Amino acid sequence: MTYEKPLPEPDENTQPWFDALREHKLLLQYFPSADHYQYPYSDRSTKDWSTEWEWRESSGQGVVYTWGRMHQLYHPSWKEEIPYTLAVVELDEGPRMQTTLVNVDPDDIRVGMRVQVYFDDITEEHTLPKFEPA
Amino acid sequence: MADPIRGQTAVCGLGITEMGKVYGHDASWFAGEAIRLAMDDAGLAKDDLDGLLINPGITGMMGTGISIPLQNYLGLRNLRLLNHMNSFGATASAMIQYAAMAVHHGMANYVACVFADAPLQKGGSAGAAYGGAGRRGPVGMNSLMPAFGFYGANTSYALAARRYMETYGATNDHFGKVAVAQREWATMNPHATMRTPITLEDYHNSRWIIEPFHLLDCCLVSNGAVATIVTTAERARDLQSSPAYIWGMGQGHPGNLPHAEVEVGTTSGATIAGETAYAMAGVGPQDVDVCEFYDCYTYTVLRTIEDYGIVGKGEAADWVAEGHTKPGGALPINTGGGQLSSYYMWGMTPISEGIIQARGSGGERQVEKHDIVLCSGNGGTLDTHGTVILSPNAN
Repeated sequence: MTYEKPLPEPDENTQPWFDALREHKLLLQYFPSADHYQYPYSDRSTKDWSTEWEWRESSGQGVVYTWGRMHQLYHPSWKEEIPYTLAVVELDEGPRMQTTLVNVDPDDIRVGMRVQVYFDDITEEHTLPKFEPA
Repeated sequence: MADPIRGQTAVCGLGITEMGKVYGHDASWFAGEAIRLAMDDAGLAKDDLDGLLINPGITGMMGTGISIPLQNYLGLRNLRLLNHMNSFGATASAMIQYAAMAVHHGMANYVACVFADAPLQKGGSAGAAYGGAGRRGPVGMNSLMPAFGFYGANTSYALAARRYMETYGATNDHFGKVAVAQREWATMNPHATMRTPITLEDYHNSRWIIEPFHLLDCCLVSNGAVATIVTTAERARDLQSSPAYIWGMGQGHPGNLPHAEVEVGTTSGATIAGETAYAMAGVGPQDVDVCEFYDCYTYTVLRTIEDYGIVGKGEAADWVAEGHTKPGGALPINTGGGQLSSYYMWGMTPISEGIIQARGSGGERQVEKHDIVLCSGNGGTLDTHGTVILSPNAN
């Protein structure tokens, strides 16, 4: 079955991050000067404007910061999915990620519930970091 | 102790075009109409206008909105102040603030602040106008947004609203009561697009857009324009219109950082902006007679009520449900119906109704005691905020 929903499109800076997803690793930028993990990608720390950073692997653990259920069809490829769940997960390292939740009944989703990353290989080349109850 | 600028500047002209599904004109045409109406309201001639501040709407982001060329379209030759500004929904209040400071210090005499937009196309939906699904796809981590199905402002505000609901125990009943109260106000506003009363049942029966938002939690999308003319209090007194004196001004911009630093959903820039404006005006939340709050969603109204200190954190939902904000209530809020029911002109929706109430020209919906009118603007997903406090009194 062809995957018709919009695909992520890495650029030069984020290619390593997307490549790691293929290996089922979730990376975060780590800025040593402020001991700060950052997501999404930026070439500068929001804490102290440092430009020195390295990729580090995230624990993939966090909590649901907030969530919603999309009923509106903005793009035809989502027709079979609506209503679908959208969520923001706050990782234990600090950053928040916009994502979706899987392997959970929408009625059971709560702010603050523990979740862990779930790597969904949506195509041969693309993996999305979704989350599931921990 | 109020700041010496309190009451030294005023809005002396207001222009509101036809609103809503008005087709066949671009944003420049609407802007021209609104400025002409505002100058007529003040009794000023074209050549009196020496300042122009421009806030484009969504069409500005699509490249078809108003911008600096509006000067030439309107044939303005005497400008001493000109700029194109955008802090999204906070821009309207910011334009009035910068205009007030400019006229107070003699940089210009009469400054037009204008918002204009024309995103609605015949046969197209409001969602298509604002959803962004048709725009060129993002790259890098931003490309994850469409990949996960995040589209438009509805999504980010719904997520903020859910955080608020689960933090404070607010429910869709609470949100619905905001929508119902504002529609009751809109029935008395001839400029309003939606003037048929609604019930809480109608609210619950309106379709889901993105849970927790029903259709009736969401603002309208409108074609149209609003212009205001700002001048000194001294000049305003000599004009035919009754001035809305500017008492307080403030801004607060917490941003919406994707880290634990910003509590999205339970905070906004209204706290800082409000404190600044209250201090300038020498008033506090207990002195406010009327509020005109940015209401892109029902939830935004609750957030704003709390952050201006009218009630405590998490208390606005029950407080609104008690009926204080509707016609006849102790503190009328969004007396023209707001963006939910009247028209969506970004920050100009609350400001325009605030001017109407301060001048006492609200007709059937005029609030009897209107000495202190608190107006808010809000942009991004609670990223930016602006406050203007208006009064019919110079002192």
